[in-house]
Amino acid sequence: MVLSTRLLSTRHEVEDEQAAQDFLHRKGWTDGLPVIPPTPERVLSCLDEAVLAPNQVIGIEPVRARPITAEKAAVNAVLAGCQPAHFPVVAAILEAMCRPEFLLHGATSSTGGCAVLIVVNGPVRLKLGMEPTFNVLGNSDRASVVIGRAVRLVLSNVLDLRPDRLDRATLGHPGKFGYCMAEDEEGSDWTPLAQLRGAPAGVSAVTVLAAGAPRQIMNEWTAVPEEILETFAAEMRANMLHYSIWGGNYAIIVPKQLRDRLQEVGWSKQDVQQFLFERARVRKRDWTRVGKGALVTVTNGDEEHGALPSPTDLLVIAAGGPAGGFGAVIPPWFGHKSRAVTTGVGVCFAC
Amino acid sequence: MYVLDPTAEADPQPVSRAPRLDSLHHRTIGLLSNGKAAVAPLFDHLESLLRHEWKANEVLRVTKGNYSAPAEPDLIRELARCHLIFTGVGD
Repeated sequence: MVLSTRLLSTRHEVEDEQAAQDFLHRKGWTDGLPVIPPTPERVLSCLDEAVLAPNQVIGIEPVRARPITAEKAAVNAVLAGCQPAHFPVVAAILEAMCRPEFLLHGATSSTGGCAVLIVVNGPVRLKLGMEPTFNVLGNSDRASVVIGRAVRLVLSNVLDLRPDRLDRATLGHPGKFGYCMAEDEEGSDWTPLAQLRGAPAGVSAVTVLAAGAPRQIMNEWTAVPEEILETFAAEMRANMLHYSIWGGNYAIIVPKQLRDRLQEVGWSKQDVQQFLFERARVRKRDWTRVGKGALVTVTNGDEEHGALPSPTDLLVIAAGGPAGGFGAVIPPWFGHKSRAVTTGVGVCFAC
Repeated sequence: MYVLDPTAEADPQPVSRAPRLDSLHHRTIGLLSNGKAAVAPLFDHLESLLRHEWKANEVLRVTKGNYSAPAEPDLIRELARCHLIFTGVGD
């Protein structure tokens, strides 16, 4: 309690836990689901776990120059249901999102309505009991749910990105409640995502992507790598026609059943990236068959657009339950305007 | 029990309104588009009014390279000589 004098947030007195719920909902500081009242003690426990001072700036949203302090991040993490052990991951995610290349303001306020996909790699997944297999894009485990939710509450409460304020999404998608997952490193021979993006082996790291909703695919009728991946390519092409033609960081989730078929004949993540770089392409004239012919002219019809500016723009994620040929394509918010960012948890490997 | 406020709380940097212009006559007016198509017809009409009805000296039309990001520093510098700037969001 003595330590709580270090905290700067306004304290609101409420009678009990139920009164706290009512107060927090009435103020519009929740996502509509029940929350954990952010008491000074709970918030300090999070800060202590991450070894962060309350006034330490985790990141600054560059466009509106809005700082996210460790204290405000911790208050929202507690609200979301985070235990202290979850908070260092939340802090790393927010730091990554404040990098200029992520274009945080545009991505989170756009009519396009994306959410922040979070992929966790490294030992912290095991420490927190993150479950990268069954139902990985749903309610897979406590840590994934509360970490993803914490990020959304920081956006709403600290950066004012609420539906009735700066978040102007036309539709949004369910990932806005939380869009956090771990990679199945133990169930895969592939190099972990963060390591492919510059993290040292064995270091915990997070990758963030301004992303649309997952588009599920299925192919259980072949063991041929090219045929499996052609289904992913077709979904990427479909996204380019139905949503945005512009290339950027796409993510794909490859479940174990499909992964095994690829790995047993020696296909690496880099091979997958190269294949989809070559196959996920459309021509502008293809828009005519999906109702967007008004955008096609006599001179631009032959223009080719690739989903991936380069093979390494594809984030290949090993995750999902052990049975079922179901994968997912997770498209970027809007081409390359926002770029995926990977950063260490409690460590800076790019410094 | 006490609960902590989860919002930013800190006051945003204070800003004040620029003084209103008495007239647009002989003034340089900037039109900054976010780059979406719907801005163009609106600005076409506005430019016509500025030039012919309100007798502006110059109308400077510029467009952001990325409608989801702030205007580029070069555009801001170019617009700095304007007496008045309109911004257009084409959604």
